[in-house]
Amino acid sequence: MAEKSFETTSQVCCSTGSESLPILASPMESPLRKVLSRISGFVPSWGKKTAPPGRRIFHRDVEQDEFQNGTAHCLSSYYSVFVARLAIMVMLAILIGLLTVLTWHFTRVYTTKSLNTLAYGLRYELLQRPILRMWNILNSTSEITTAQVKLSEYVIRRYSKPTNQAEQIELYQMMKDITWALFASRKALNAITINYRNGFVQAFHRDHRSNNTFYIYSDLANYSISDTGSYDNKSQSSRQGWNDQFIHGNVSAIWYRQPLDPLTGEKIGKSSQIPPEDLINIAGPSQVPDGVASWHVAVSKYTDSPLLSAALPVWDASNKSIVAVVGVTTALYSVGQLMKELVEVHSGYIYLTSQEGYLLATSTNTPLLNNTAKGPKLMMAANSEDRVIRMGAQWLQKTYGNKFPPGHVVHVEKANLGGQHYYIDSFFLNLKRLPIVGVIIIPRKYIMGKVEERALKTLVILISASVCILAIGCVCILILTNGVSKEMKLRAELISHLDARRRAEASSNYKSQFLANMSHELRTPMAAVIGLLDILICDDCLTNEQYAMVTQIRKCSTALLRLLNNILDLSKVESGKLVLEEAEFDLGRELEGLVDMFSVQCINHNVETVLDLSDDIPKVVRGDSARVVQVFANLISNSIKFTTSGHIILRGWCENPNVSSDSGKFSPDQKKPMSALKTKLKHGNHMKKVSKKDNKMILWFEVDDTGCGIDPSKWESVFESFEQADPSTTRTHGGTGLGLCIVRTLVNKMGGEIKVVKKNGQGTLMRLFLLLSTPADGLEQQRQIDFAKHSVAVILALHGSMGRLIMSKWLSKNGVPTLEASEWNELTQILRELFHARTTNSGFDTHYSLAKPLRSKVQTLQDMKKLVYIIVVDLGLLDLSTEIWKEQLNFLDKFSGQVKFAWMLNHDTSNAIKMELRKKGHILMVNKPLYKAKMLHILEAVIKESYVEPQNRSPNGTKGTSKQGDSHECLEIDSTQFETCSSDDSDISEMTGANSVSSVGIREQLKEGTILKSGPPTLRNCLVEFTRLGLEVNNLRTEEDQCNGRPKFHDTKDVKCENPNSSEQPLVRSNVKDRDNSYTTNKAASEQKSLEGLRLLLAEDTPVLQRVATIMLEKMGAVVVAVGDGAQAVEALNCELDGDENRTNRLQTEICDSPPYDLILMDCQMPMMDGYEATKAIRKSEERTGWHVPIVALTAHAMSSDKEKCLKVGMDAYLTKPIDYKLMVSTILSLTKRSTKG
Amino acid sequence: MDLVQLQRQLVDYRTSLYHEGFLDEQFTQLQELQDENNPDFVVEVVSLFFQDSERLLNELSKALEQQIIDFKRMDAHVHQLKGSSSSIGAQRVQKLCIVFRNYCEARNVEGCLKCLQQVKHEYALVKTKLESMFQLEQQISNAGGSIPV
Repeated sequence: MAEKSFETTSQVCCSTGSESLPILASPMESPLRKVLSRISGFVPSWGKKTAPPGRRIFHRDVEQDEFQNGTAHCLSSYYSVFVARLAIMVMLAILIGLLTVLTWHFTRVYTTKSLNTLAYGLRYELLQRPILRMWNILNSTSEITTAQVKLSEYVIRRYSKPTNQAEQIELYQMMKDITWALFASRKALNAITINYRNGFVQAFHRDHRSNNTFYIYSDLANYSISDTGSYDNKSQSSRQGWNDQFIHGNVSAIWYRQPLDPLTGEKIGKSSQIPPEDLINIAGPSQVPDGVASWHVAVSKYTDSPLLSAALPVWDASNKSIVAVVGVTTALYSVGQLMKELVEVHSGYIYLTSQEGYLLATSTNTPLLNNTAKGPKLMMAANSEDRVIRMGAQWLQKTYGNKFPPGHVVHVEKANLGGQHYYIDSFFLNLKRLPIVGVIIIPRKYIMGKVEERALKTLVILISASVCILAIGCVCILILTNGVSKEMKLRAELISHLDARRRAEASSNYKSQFLANMSHELRTPMAAVIGLLDILICDDCLTNEQYAMVTQIRKCSTALLRLLNNILDLSKVESGKLVLEEAEFDLGRELEGLVDMFSVQCINHNVETVLDLSDDIPKVVRGDSARVVQVFANLISNSIKFTTSGHIILRGWCENPNVSSDSGKFSPDQKKPMSALKTKLKHGNHMKKVSKKDNKMILWFEVDDTGCGIDPSKWESVFESFEQADPSTTRTHGGTGLGLCIVRTLVNKMGGEIKVVKKNGQGTLMRLFLLLSTPADGLEQQRQIDFAKHSVAVILALHGSMGRLIMSKWLSKNGVPTLEASEWNELTQILRELFHARTTNSGFDTHYSLAKPLRSKVQTLQDMKKLVYIIVVDLGLLDLSTEIWKEQLNFLDKFSGQVKFAWMLNHDTSNAIKMELRKKGHILMVNKPLYKAKMLHILEAVIKESYVEPQNRSPNGTKGTSKQGDSHECLEIDSTQFETCSSDDSDISEMTGANSVSSVGIREQLKEGTILKSGPPTLRNCLVEFTRLGLEVNNLRTEEDQCNGRPKFHDTKDVKCENPNSSEQPLVRSNVKDRDNSYTTNKAASEQKSLEGLRLLLAEDTPVLQRVATIMLEKMGAVVVAVGDGAQAVEALNCELDGDENRTNRLQTEICDSPPYDLILMDCQMPMMDGYEATKAIRKSEERTGWHVPIVALTAHAMSSDKEKCLKVGMDAYLTKPIDYKLMVSTILSLTKRSTKG
Repeated sequence: MDLVQLQRQLVDYRTSLYHEGFLDEQFTQLQELQDENNPDFVVEVVSLFFQDSERLLNELSKALEQQIIDFKRMDAHVHQLKGSSSSIGAQRVQKLCIVFRNYCEARNVEGCLKCLQQVKHEYALVKTKLESMFQLEQQISNAGGSIPV
């Protein structure tokens, strides 16, 4: 039963689940729906309540959903769960109740039935026994009577004719003996009487109460023997007289009673005369009128129970007349006794009545006879003194009246007698002359009492048990549904989460789509800005200052573009799809550029930006330069944001035991990094092992600022997305909190770590290490000029104390004596000290103002002869607000013979000042900030100049020699410029040569300006593997550098030949994009045809594009075959393969077994057969030949996923539309070179 | 008319086209490709563009009139239009094509119809602009002057 109910519960639960979760699998829906509808039929209100939300959820609005889901969903599920529970409980209750009732009912019915049958049997049996006894009594009585009659007949016949008195007496004596014998043999007999015809009576009588036996006889004297003779004659006539009345009325007769010994029959007393009323019943001839035996019930005064008397006539020998009447009387007492015994055992009441209703025997002790004046009389059962018998008899009388059912058989199971229930059964015993009715009354309680009691108890137990089960079931259901509903809720949540995730994914998909579109939209205006700037830079009417400014704008724009690209790249970083490129780059120079860029920002903040790289850092490392720069750019910009005064130092050193031992001598604060190293040793240990094997180096960097600092508790969390140390910073400083997150992701990607380190003093110290590999040949260090040899000394007159300190330490390490001055007065003191002392040999007047250590330094310098002094002067030392600076300049000019001045300019240094400086012959001008590379260059320039000086020196040095002019221009532009004129430039350009694909990375492209000028026609041989964004950046960088390179080129031209070529001029002014073109037109025709001799197949469906691309390529000298779709392309290729002869005719130079085309440009989206399909087909057909024709995809989709798709089908490279001329050429070249090589 | 004036007018006109966003650097590139080998290259390509675009626009109009609109086909057409317009530097048409494609992908009939109208409008605009520019160039070359770059 329990199982069944659980089954139903689970079903119901499922259905409720489906209701509250309509998003569940729909195929499951329909069967469950049916169940549900059935249930909701039971509870109609519920169905109405819950159905609408279900439908609503099905047809919901995506926007509405979020809002409504919360409330409606919750409510409906609450209702449904509640109602489901209720329904289950009700059903369970009904089930259990039904079962209980049924069980009880059946058990009771069966018990009652069996009990009833049993009880019936019992009752029957009970009644049967007294009846049987009665029957016995009757039988024995009749037997005795019959025996008596037979004996009497025999005796009388023997003495048939008594002739005399003696014979008569003898006869009577004989009769008396016989009768005694019979009487004695039956103890139960009450009396035996013999009434002779002549009126003589002989009788034996037993008085049961007194236990006496008597012989009663009438007086013989009154009877004559003669009489007897006449008796026969008058038998018929005098029958009337021979009756009871005669006997009783026979007053003349005297009755005697003689007590007898009950056993022997001897006379034990004298016979006494007794009054007639004391007589017992003596059967007379009246009782046998028709001569047959008769029965009747009589009463006697000696017994209180009715007597059964039988009478039989004794016929004479001729059998014609009755000679005597024999009567036998038996007491019914024994029947009553039996009944009493029975009742004692079985309880209840039994009585026997005659057909008329006279009581014959009862099981009670109440008297059966009425004592009237006339003597005892029989009593009706309805008048019995016993209450139960009386009521039973009355009940029977009332119910049946006189119309008893045939046979008087009645079975009544529930008779209400005086407020109690009884069984009443009656039986009929049909005796001749004496029909008897037996009635048994048994209290119902006796038989069914226990049963009913038990049944009641069972019922109570059953009910309580079922209530218990119900309660437990309800609890179980509650628990079960609770669990199920919880699970359902969880599942619903899961589903909604999945849904949300799917939507989020979709939206992020939209986002990336959007970004892809936006990237195009954003880059276009930026490209325009950069292009316009390039045009402006090309304009030669700009002053140098303007030029510098424009260059700065140009750089910033490039940075902005790079930033844009980086932002677009962010999703890639976040999703971990970012692939770092592996290319060689000059780490130092990247960082210098970065510091240059940020110093512009810092100057306004009064913050000093210092770059402090130790000498052991390898010049060239392999890695992703853009990402490395991004890391530091983010870190520095972050520092700048929070630093209002002080400095920002970017420190770098290398953890490489072999190198650090000899050249790791320079670091501003050596203890700190070393100790840090030690603390990190554990960490870096395994890294070291790796690094040795792979030629990898661990490069440590620190970004140290004096800003507001970060709370130690936030040191970890600042690297999380959208996390800022202080929420209020967004208000004051702006920013999204993404910067550091990107930094950490990138650093981790490069095998490094970043964390915030405790710092002495104010500010934040971020320390990170990167795992970068150096090129295989790369450990040979950059050339070190032995400055000590050249005997130079440097006076650093700079504002920023940190930069000055670091620089002076570095210089001292490299054997260059340095002096420091932080302000104008100090500088003048030093100068006076140095030179006045030397010239006049007495500097005592100024001694006081110099501090002791400085003075000692000065003196040691004085001791050294022939020193070349270089004074690096910060323009900020001069008082620029007034006109004093001119005087200060004049003052300095006095020393110009002995020292070289290098000026540190600000970005906003006015043109007038520059002009003035130039006029004074100060040609070494460097933009702030000062770092090693710039210092190195100053030193080199001075040293060179000092060599040149003796031969060729003009006092007004403005562009005195082209070389000088050159270098001065370079210095003024920025750090990237002096690379071009530095000594190692030429080797690199030589090395670059024709193919720089593998060995040189981005850097080489910087020199393209020069390469183009002098070298063979190598255009950008970009690695095709570059990511698209990387390409974009590189491309822009090359543009930038070209722009930077350009003016120099023109300047020299301008210097050399006053009239520039008329054809060149407009070309130079034209757009950025055509620079290559303009270059090529400048050069000889042979040089411009970079694609000379290449056979290209162009598959492009758009006629416009087809035409444009064809012309482009043909201009570069390539042979182009254009087709309209992919199918044609495949066909064209196969045709060429088949038509070998044709091909050889046309291209005799080609070797026969090489592919017909050097390269295929394939549009991706084409009718008939798109680019992907075509590529697949081509690649398949190539399997036979073993060729590999490079295929370049052309697509208008700017997504990287398209790129992957392209590469997957077997394309080699990827170009986006609109076609970028240069990029296309470089891609084609790299692919064709590679393929011909391979 | 004075030749110099004509030339100035042409330069101004061309600049205005760039400024108003009708053309972008792609057109400049196109012009650079024109040399003595292909003296009428720009006109040739642009007229190719006109032919192609008109065909595509007709196709698109037809496709949109259909009971069941084949968005995939329309998308391909718009893609082509976008490709060709970007190749000649008609960037306003090109940008509209981007929007148009989004509508196609979203199967937005109303958006497509709207976009088609806009594209047609832009196309007509750029066509007249370019034609008048070519007319000017023609005048200049007829007058014997060189076309300023």
